Amino acid sequence: MIEERKVNQTKMMLQKRNGGLLGYLLYTLILIIILWCAHAIIVVETDWNRMGNLQQIATTILRFFPPNVRFLPKLIDPVLETFIIAVLGTALAIILSIPVSWFAARNITPYFPITYPIGRFIMTISRSVHEIVWALIFVSALGLGAFPGIMAIGMRSIGFMSKLTAEEIENVDKGPIEAIEATGANKLQVIRYGIVPQIIPLFLGNAIFQWDINIRRASIMGIVGAGGIGIVFSVQMAMYNYHNAMSTIIAILILVAIGEFISNRLRMLII
Amino acid sequence: MAFLEVEDLKKTYSTGEEALKGVTFSIESRDFVSIIGPSGGGKSTLLRCINRLVEPTSGRILFKGQEVNSLNSKELKRIRRSIGMIFQEFNLIDRMSVIQNVLTGRLGYTGLWRSLLGKFHKHDVERAAEICERVGMKDHIYKRADELSGGQRQRVGIARAIIQSPDFLLVDEPTSSLDIKIQHEVMDLIHKISKEDEVPVLISIHNVELAKEYAARIIGLQDGKKVFEGTAKEVDRKALDTIYKYD
Repeated sequence: MIEERKVNQTKMMLQKRNGGLLGYLLYTLILIIILWCAHAIIVVETDWNRMGNLQQIATTILRFFPPNVRFLPKLIDPVLETFIIAVLGTALAIILSIPVSWFAARNITPYFPITYPIGRFIMTISRSVHEIVWALIFVSALGLGAFPGIMAIGMRSIGFMSKLTAEEIENVDKGPIEAIEATGANKLQVIRYGIVPQIIPLFLGNAIFQWDINIRRASIMGIVGAGGIGIVFSVQMAMYNYHNAMSTIIAILILVAIGEFISNRLRMLII
Repeated sequence: MAFLEVEDLKKTYSTGEEALKGVTFSIESRDFVSIIGPSGGGKSTLLRCINRLVEPTSGRILFKGQEVNSLNSKELKRIRRSIGMIFQEFNLIDRMSVIQNVLTGRLGYTGLWRSLLGKFHKHDVERAAEICERVGMKDHIYKRADELSGGQRQRVGIARAIIQSPDFLLVDEPTSSLDIKIQHEVMDLIHKISKEDEVPVLISIHNVELAKEYAARIIGLQDGKKVFEGTAKEVDRKALDTIYKYD
């Protein structure tokens, strides 16, 4: 007994000593790797002459200030368009994510060998393709404007929404489902009464969260022609109108801030 | 012909666990039968095999002469809607109101579109309100289920079972999650309904005294086997030792 304890104590001491040493070695190794990476990509590949010294950098940044206040009224329409693109894109994603989550949820997918992989596939594609790439795809298919933007946002948001919803569906409390089945209900009735009420709060919360993110997404998709305020920023920068560009940035900031505020409030209401 | 006949019922789960090892008994149409026995003895599994919430491995179950095991899903739903089930954990839909919960008992009788939209028949809604009053929940009809106490939730569970106009009630330890005083209230309610509506009841009860108080017949289930069957009076010291023996 006593020998056992002594052996354990010694083991712990060695581990602490060893653990400490090993820890330090690990941290140093990571640091070296980071420094090497920074050197290989940043230090070696950057055109340091172009940046100039600190004073020149400061001058470049100051070119954006002050923002041109008289440009702000011209931004109202693009901002509204961005907002609407975000709303409609999110609405589209909400509608499409319902069948996708149904397919991608192990417990309620209609025919596991076929529908489950389809659901998961759509989810993965949606999340793997960046919104700018989606925007490019839809702009080339549908032309310039808000419509491709709405489609791009819709496609991009399905993945997130259905992933969380499908997981939630798989984790529902089974008791109520048993009870509804016991009344002689069919599969759809069981989903409608046993599962849906349990996942609605999360579903709505996700939708609001996605809407908030989509405002940001809609803001930049304009740069590739998918509507909204992005194109304004792009044009102003191309024309070297830095003050106007700054105004545009501020308008975007305000829009995103409003979106965040609204989405926080709405989510609090649901919980 | 007995109302419910269970013949050599066996259930082995995919994990290899043998929950039921050949149980045989029958229930007549005016019976109030209680199953007692140690936890894990198979009481819940037995009840759930009758309406096939759990699929039996072998054995026969005859409900009003009809074999339950071989029914296809459509016929099974028909049988299920005439069997009301009451659960230990109440199993209500938390976010829905009392009356909505009670109405879900009519899902077996309601068409698909109506049920998806939540538009139950007016007749059903009226009945639901009446039944809420019958179980003593008249003042709480519009409350959300998660705002209720345990005893209240079980009353709603009972109401949901009765609105099916069931021919039979399966009750799974309805009072195990409740305080003692409320336990008697709930058991009184179940017993009263069974008598007034002339519905036979098969109920698993954890508390032996409670079982003896309400059930005319008692079945003792231990480790998946029926080790006792008799009247409440016959449940004496010796019987209890047999049922609850510690190996």
